[in-house]
Amino acid sequence: MSAIREWLRRLRGTFHRAPEDAEMEEELRLHVDMIADDLKRRGLSFEDAARQARLQAGGIAQVMEQRRDQRGLRWLEDLIQDLRYGVRTLRRAPVFTAVTVATLTLAIGANTAAFSLVDPLLFRDLPVRDPGRLVQFTERYPGDPPLNMFGLENYAQYRDRNTLFSDMVGLAPFNTESSAGSEPVGAWVVTANFFRFLGVRPALGRVLDDSDDAPSGAPPAVVSWRYWQGHFNGEARALGSIIDINDRRLPGPVHATVVGVAERTFSGVTASMRSDVWVSLGAIPAAMRSRAGVALMARLKPGASIGQARAEMRVLYQPSIDALAQRDPQWRHTTIDVTSARVGLSTPLTDQFGGPLSLLMAIVAILLLLACANIAGLLLARGASRQQEMAVRVSLGAGRLRMVRQVLTESLLLASIGGALGLVGARFGATVLTRIMTSGTQSPGPPPRLEIPLDARVLTFTIGATLLAALAFGLAPAIVAFVSAPASGLRQGGGAQTKSRRVFGNGLVIAQVAISLALLSVSQLYIGHLRHLRDRSLGFDRDRVLLMSVNTSRAQNRAQLAALYRVVVARLRAIPGVDSVAASGMTPMSGGASSAFLRVEGFIEPADDRQRVSLNAVSPNYFLTYGTPLLAGRDFRDSDVDQPRRIIVNQALARKYFPGRDPLGRHVWLENQRDPYEIVGVAGDSKYNDVRLPSPPTVYQFALGSGDLSLRTSGRQAALADDARRLVNDVFGPNSVGRVTSLAEQVDASIVPERLLATLAGFFGTVGALLAAIGLFGLLAYTVARQTKEIGIRLALGATRGRVSRMVATSAGWVVSVGFLLGAPAAFWSTRVAARSVESLPAAGGGPIASAAAALIAVAIIAVYVPTRRATRVEPVIALRAE
Amino acid sequence: VLQGTLDIMVLQTLAALGSSHGYAVAARIQQVSGGRVQLNMGTLYPGLMRLEQRGFVRGTWGATENNRRARFYALTPAGKKQLAAEKREWSRMVTTMQAILSEPS
Repeated sequence: MSAIREWLRRLRGTFHRAPEDAEMEEELRLHVDMIADDLKRRGLSFEDAARQARLQAGGIAQVMEQRRDQRGLRWLEDLIQDLRYGVRTLRRAPVFTAVTVATLTLAIGANTAAFSLVDPLLFRDLPVRDPGRLVQFTERYPGDPPLNMFGLENYAQYRDRNTLFSDMVGLAPFNTESSAGSEPVGAWVVTANFFRFLGVRPALGRVLDDSDDAPSGAPPAVVSWRYWQGHFNGEARALGSIIDINDRRLPGPVHATVVGVAERTFSGVTASMRSDVWVSLGAIPAAMRSRAGVALMARLKPGASIGQARAEMRVLYQPSIDALAQRDPQWRHTTIDVTSARVGLSTPLTDQFGGPLSLLMAIVAILLLLACANIAGLLLARGASRQQEMAVRVSLGAGRLRMVRQVLTESLLLASIGGALGLVGARFGATVLTRIMTSGTQSPGPPPRLEIPLDARVLTFTIGATLLAALAFGLAPAIVAFVSAPASGLRQGGGAQTKSRRVFGNGLVIAQVAISLALLSVSQLYIGHLRHLRDRSLGFDRDRVLLMSVNTSRAQNRAQLAALYRVVVARLRAIPGVDSVAASGMTPMSGGASSAFLRVEGFIEPADDRQRVSLNAVSPNYFLTYGTPLLAGRDFRDSDVDQPRRIIVNQALARKYFPGRDPLGRHVWLENQRDPYEIVGVAGDSKYNDVRLPSPPTVYQFALGSGDLSLRTSGRQAALADDARRLVNDVFGPNSVGRVTSLAEQVDASIVPERLLATLAGFFGTVGALLAAIGLFGLLAYTVARQTKEIGIRLALGATRGRVSRMVATSAGWVVSVGFLLGAPAAFWSTRVAARSVESLPAAGGGPIASAAAALIAVAIIAVYVPTRRATRVEPVIALRAE
Repeated sequence: VLQGTLDIMVLQTLAALGSSHGYAVAARIQQVSGGRVQLNMGTLYPGLMRLEQRGFVRGTWGATENNRRARFYALTPAGKKQLAAEKREWSRMVTTMQAILSEPS
């Protein structure tokens, strides 16, 4: 009790100092005077009494200092003093402060942004009961992305026959496409045990229970807290409301009835897809259940390991493989995997970005390291010029530890400013990052949405990064402050530098050059890869095609569709700037794809190595619209409607199945079809669904009007798009046009990870090089400034200016060379690691490292040139007089 | 001065003298102890301050007989309680020590 009171009084004492100091002194003076009075009464002379009194009482100044320490909280008082002093020091060097704070803002901001993205996707546990026991199943087929999609009957089998899971759930996103203007709802269909499985309780109403699985016209649904707040203002009347969910694959809209609101912390089982509404399995009509696919999650029983679960699931899954392999032996290569779902369900987004994001995290961590090295160098250079100040303070009685604390406080001050600004910048940066990341995903289901919360974890991370940075760049100056001996500091008047400090400074430059080289090499690698992907011949004209997804389901039959399509084409062609129009079942890089085995007489493939050909159904003028050349034969004609068994193939197909022969007029069979197709044309190769892969052998079938529209344009696409949308809606009915996008956008969207990495790596690589330049420049300028006297003497003794500049440049060049020497293996190693983390990136050669080195050498030359020039400008007389 | 005895000496002196300034406390202690305890300022004033921070004494400004401004310290109720407690503790300690030391060696 009295301890707290004492602390509070001390706290108050810290802030009310000035008036009390005077009173304290008065009290002490009185004491001394009274002793003197006593002594005088005993007969001493006035002078003797005063002297004796002072001796007896002890020094006033010492007692004052002692009492000051006791009065307030010493450390707090010191901290405030240090902060004041630090602010003054920083304000005195505005350029230094600006550069340092900007560097830190960038570095800490980048780290925070990266972390706030990576954390929910890769690190953070789901906010559900015992997330460590959650697992997910994935089907893997060599060359394909892992897929967590199983039939409902498989779900029932695995759930009933396994021995290692306490429970299992199935869930699948509805394929809700947004109609113009309104944001689509993130809806999931889930088995009724979903909430019990996760241990998620209702905030209002109830969650689903086992009876909810039965097919129903108005299946029960639970909404998320956020959705409840956004759409129902958090009111209880939400219960009983109907949410309409449109999914093309279902016969009609689902009228989901809200029965409850999930607890606030729960926002779905993946951070990468929107989760607003969880609808019971009742939404799926009984007739469609055999075809429905769901993602599976399970909870391990206590004591069961993932390895055991994997082994058991392989056994349970075997019948499925056997069934598939009967149709096609290739499916034997399929395996099932069980992985942890502790952080949530894997989605295409997490699969696609897991590697790149981890890499990004590493890159920004290196950037922070670089920034710290840089600032340490600058502080050190500056510390040298402050050596005199330090020496004065030490000789006036400042304790060494006190000096260290002062220096560290300054570092902390700098880092805190940088950290605070970085946090603000990170919010912005993370938003931009998520926008880039989600721009490319076109997988079915709710639109991807990354939650980037500014929560305690992110804040803790930022504060941690800030403290670490402060310690990292503040340690060296602090050590210097600790060892600064007052005598030498005063005597030399800030003259020659100590050897250890020079070695340390050189070490920093070497480290910076080496790290920048590695960073720049990685960024060059990614930039080169992206350029390679962009430049690679696509086989079509990416810049002149506008794509429209059209819902043609209103046409009753094929004939009516063809008729409507003819009308659309005629009217679209009338728009100025539209050169040609075509329809196709799929558009390049759209994500949707179909394929089939091809049988050609006289061409024999080993059963295990058969490969499918890609399929597309196209209308006349498709090749004209895409700018893909027809190499032989003819294009489709409207009249081919009556002759549907004619196809056009691409060159890759012709080369594979008809080597050295003319494919025109030949007959081929598609998988499971009795009647042959006749080849009437050969088109040039073009990319199908992945720009990273070579053009696959492709069969173009004939279709008139089904699928999406492609318009070859010669005007501004944005202007045309609205006209075209209106016109197509007129013909096919209101809202039949879905997405309108340019082919260029669609292609770019398919290489988002590469673009993201190239953009970020390029940006951070440039920043890194800039930092290295600033560091190099600063340290060299400092070195030259230190050597001014030496240079003056040399010049006075007859050295030529050329010799002097060579001397300065040589010592700098030596340091930079060592940096390159050490950086080369680091760059080699990091480009190897970087290449491995991105699929489809060819093994890195020396190219990126060479171009990074070239860029760094240019930077180094500039950074060396300016100080060197300044060195030769030294006037001997002035330099010597400076003593 | 023996560690921990300063507080009890100062508190006891203030209890005997009533409100008094620092020099009076020091002089009184010196007198009562027969000159064996001499408190210099560096011991006395931080001690007074500590007692004040703990709330055992309160200092107020007043005038001496020579009409000089001086800070007078007086015991607070908490200080009286503390003094009583410390006295008890001290005499118990003395008894214990005597018992131990009076054992024949």
